[in-house]
Amino acid sequence: MSLDDTSDRTQQEDEASMDAQAIDESMPGVPEEDFIMLDERVVNLWRINQIIGSVVFLGILFMVGSFVSMAVSNSLIWVAVGWVMIAVYKLLSALIYPPLAYRAYGYRMDDKVLEIRSGVIWKVSQQVPLSRLQHVDLHRGPLERSFGLATLSLHTAGTQQAVLTLPGLEADMAGEFRDELVSIGGDDGV
Amino acid sequence: MASEREGEDKEPRLPPELPPVIDEFEGQVHEEPYPEHEDDFAEHAELSLPVDRLHPVTLVIAFWNAIRGFLIPILIIFLINRSRGGIPPFVIVLLFFLVMSLIQQVVRYFTFTFWVENGELVTRQGLLSRQERNIPLLRVQDIRVEQGIVHRAFGVADVHVETAGGMGVEASFSVLKLEDAEFLRDAVFGAVAEEKRLRKGESSEVSVEEPEEPELELRRLSSRDLVLAGLTSNQTASTMAILLAGLAFLDDFLPVDFFRRIESELQQNMESIVSTGRSIDWVTIAGIGGGLFLLGIVISVLGAIILFHGFVLSRKGEDLHRSYGLFTRRSSSLPRKRIQVLRADETVLRRVFGLMALRADTAGGNMMDQGAQNEGRNVLLPVISRSELEPLLPEFFPDISKGEPEWRRVSKRAIRRGTIKGSWIILFATLFLCLNKGLPVGLWPLALLPFVYLINVLNYRHFGYVLGERYLRCRRGWLGRTTHVIPIRNIQSVALIRTPFDRWHGLATLVVDTAGQAYTGGGPRITNLPIEEAESLARELSQRAAHMRYQWN
Repeated sequence: MSLDDTSDRTQQEDEASMDAQAIDESMPGVPEEDFIMLDERVVNLWRINQIIGSVVFLGILFMVGSFVSMAVSNSLIWVAVGWVMIAVYKLLSALIYPPLAYRAYGYRMDDKVLEIRSGVIWKVSQQVPLSRLQHVDLHRGPLERSFGLATLSLHTAGTQQAVLTLPGLEADMAGEFRDELVSIGGDDGV
Repeated sequence: MASEREGEDKEPRLPPELPPVIDEFEGQVHEEPYPEHEDDFAEHAELSLPVDRLHPVTLVIAFWNAIRGFLIPILIIFLINRSRGGIPPFVIVLLFFLVMSLIQQVVRYFTFTFWVENGELVTRQGLLSRQERNIPLLRVQDIRVEQGIVHRAFGVADVHVETAGGMGVEASFSVLKLEDAEFLRDAVFGAVAEEKRLRKGESSEVSVEEPEEPELELRRLSSRDLVLAGLTSNQTASTMAILLAGLAFLDDFLPVDFFRRIESELQQNMESIVSTGRSIDWVTIAGIGGGLFLLGIVISVLGAIILFHGFVLSRKGEDLHRSYGLFTRRSSSLPRKRIQVLRADETVLRRVFGLMALRADTAGGNMMDQGAQNEGRNVLLPVISRSELEPLLPEFFPDISKGEPEWRRVSKRAIRRGTIKGSWIILFATLFLCLNKGLPVGLWPLALLPFVYLINVLNYRHFGYVLGERYLRCRRGWLGRTTHVIPIRNIQSVALIRTPFDRWHGLATLVVDTAGQAYTGGGPRITNLPIEEAESLARELSQRAAHMRYQWN
């Protein structure tokens, strides 16, 4: 089988894109200010969520750890040290991670396409043609309600990424945005 | 996660805000599946079917099935109990169930009726509790006609109707006269086309005068094709792989030692065979292995012939039509507009012979469908030669640009990245071996490094994508290869993913999401794109998709 049946990329082409990448670190070709940020209150919401999750996790870990250490050996100290280290890590990540996630999150929309970007370490940018939206859910958990926030879930007929979520929206605004999306999305066509 | 998604699929895809349509005359609430067309839903394509009930042979087949299912257990019990005499109570229980299932079948036969009304296919059955099911014709994805041996003897067939968003079969007609089954299928798809014309506001008069398009045969598979398909199917490959792995396991994977030992063993064996006439060890093992290997090949060749004998793929207007099978004849149609993803698979063995299998997904497919593979529904065309793909594509996608496209490669950094990744694995293997087996032996894995580089270069050269005007194509793999063709109008969403490694190399992965991934696994992932290119490709795809009409019906 022949190896050269594809058009070769030139080295220069590659280098050029590398250079462009070096200049603009984040999202090349996209001005930062284009993206709409989430509501700032979401940072604290995420913090509280993370802390609640961590407390439950650490509680279970504590029980399992103490049970295992009593059953296997009596070196409780090392288990305790490990547990404290995990607890400190969890606390630090609850303090540091949400602001980073907040900064990474953003969305923007023209008349045809909605783009959502997110992720601190795994950066993801999802683009949905609005006419592909099947339905839009507005979700408000008890914590979200106390913060006056809401989450939108956008459903397409797709498979792996059939659901896109947009958290941390101001509640009234989320409702309006939902209505807007549905009115555009219902018109499946050109 | 999966179950959640399935649950959603069952719901009619309605934007939640739209109020249900109130029928003024009946005062009933209708759930209209296509709210965007509510203005003209009073106007429907009229369709009358030649039959409204099942064929009397249904009863014969019901008897046959019941007896086939119960006869063997009853016989076994009789044989076991022969010495004791009398009828064992268990047989009475079995007979009771047999009679019950017969009664059920008879009731179904006498009560089952169906008709077409208001653009819906309606089935009704049941004596005490009456079941009625309405299937909007526009939602019908596939009508499959199946004939087992008994069916063929009587000239009847089973008909299965599948819909979009439904979980597999929505309605089954078993059995109808073959001509009626085919009439039903053609009539429903004809009515679907008619209904679409009505909804577009065109007059149906035009379509009647249009000359009927002749059925165009696209590909007929000969016995030779099927033998090739069987020989190169995965079963054979895996048999071979198991054998090779078994051989490798027999020695300490050290080439020099390994071959020397085989040599001496063979020598000894030959001597022992010659001197004592006794065959042992290697010869026996090789014999058994070879026998199993041959058996595997025979089974897969027979399997391919039994399943796909007389395979014909043809096109009549917009419908792709397949029929195949040696004992059980199956036929199904697939409107070509409903293809969400087309995938051409070349496994390693098939690539050597220049063969590929074609798979296609509609929005109605069901991943959990276990029968799909056994019934050959998971492939559109079980085997064709590579050179046939390009000429065939315009038959599936009439507006695709013709000719071998210019594949665009991803970033050359893919080679470096892949080589580094492979080198780490080899490095760890080397360390591990050095610690366990000492120095000269432990350095063996390093000999693989050039191959890692070579494989990455080859994979890079064989990876490519093409952004056409209406289609996205993507192919990957040097040893085994998969090629995707996706109508851009069917793209649901596009995601750009950058892992920390991606960002280190200035690359990104583009994931294209489509509806329906039962048989093709959904859209492709284009890895190692330069970030600039990925960004503009993602934007281009989503914008173009947004400007095209999504067609799943």
